[in-house]
Amino acid sequence: MAEQETDISLLETLDHLLDRGVVIAGEAVISIGDVDLLYLGLSIVLANVDAIIRTSNKRR
Amino acid sequence: MLITNEEEALRQQLSFTESTIPERISADPEALENGLARLVLSIIELVRRLLEKQALRRMDGGNLTEEEIERLGTSLMKLEEKMTEMKAAFGLEDDDLNLSLGPIKTLE
Amino acid sequence: MKSIAIGMHLRAEDVQPLAKAVSASNLIVSAIDVDDDQPLSDRDLMLRVADIRAHLLERATFIAVRYGFTFRSTSEAEGKIGSNAPRWRKLLEENRTRVELTLKVPAASPLPKPDRHAFNSGADYMRALHAAKNAAGVDEVFKRAAGQHIASLCVENRWLTRDSSSVELAGLIERDRVPSLAAAGESLKRACPDVPFLLSAPWPLEVFADVDHE
Repeated sequence: MAEQETDISLLETLDHLLDRGVVIAGEAVISIGDVDLLYLGLSIVLANVDAIIRTSNKRR
Repeated sequence: MLITNEEEALRQQLSFTESTIPERISADPEALENGLARLVLSIIELVRRLLEKQALRRMDGGNLTEEEIERLGTSLMKLEEKMTEMKAAFGLEDDDLNLSLGPIKTLE
Repeated sequence: MKSIAIGMHLRAEDVQPLAKAVSASNLIVSAIDVDDDQPLSDRDLMLRVADIRAHLLERATFIAVRYGFTFRSTSEAEGKIGSNAPRWRKLLEENRTRVELTLKVPAASPLPKPDRHAFNSGADYMRALHAAKNAAGVDEVFKRAAGQHIASLCVENRWLTRDSSSVELAGLIERDRVPSLAAAGESLKRACPDVPFLLSAPWPLEVFADVDHE
């Protein structure tokens, strides 16, 4: 990706990659109170945070 | 193609508070315990928020039975209660764990 | 070796050689292979996949698969696709010439989160949470301007409240109208100079492929 990509652009890209799109069934379904919630990848959650934090550090 | 308006305001909405996931964990035992506690609780808080978000998405779908809605709500209430207890146990405030990411974000 | 699913497509030619094209359930799944122990939460990997997605979109419209889904065999892929195949295929055939756009705007007055202590039942709390999320609103003037400048270019559009602090307009737009979005964005800026917003395009089918938002 282009070096000069702004952090907003990066966040937008990551948002579309990580928080949208169809969910394929049967993967790491977390149940709460017996109701199956959708895909939740904990490693992806942490990746979200890490990517965003690294972006903000870059900005400083 | 990406167009933004009032980028400064957008950035402020995006203002990242100090990373609540400590990048370095001190070797001092007390600080270590506190640092680890913050790390663990931050992660649990993230998971809690994501579960809440997912529950809201399910509500959007409008296909849940009354019983399912009750279970979702009760579970979320219990999770919040647990978080409150754990924060109190470690002497951590909401601010210590708060990842404020604004409108353009992948969490919350 | 595991394969990270990227998107659902109609034809292998739409995918190769940018990614691996796996034939499954009468669809083509685009994917890249990584080592079994490759962590998915790798920023560079995510950016690589995002980059591939952008190039795939240049070729042809596809349905985006949320990042993080992997499979090790065609039968595993088919199992995961399940009964979605006919619906996705229909979506792809109907929207060959279209892509998505996103217009995001912070909520005008984000509402405080309901206090769980104020509720006796889980269902009441859940409904209150949901109502609070959906109450996030956008300035009416902005909404009208967005309708006039952006939604007017779309084949279909939907206002969504993804969370309590932001609101979003998702639009399905013909590819050949995407170049006119830049000017439309500028018009929107002029119409509402004080409203922070973000307009981005093109994106593969995401919101309009997602069952939750039907």
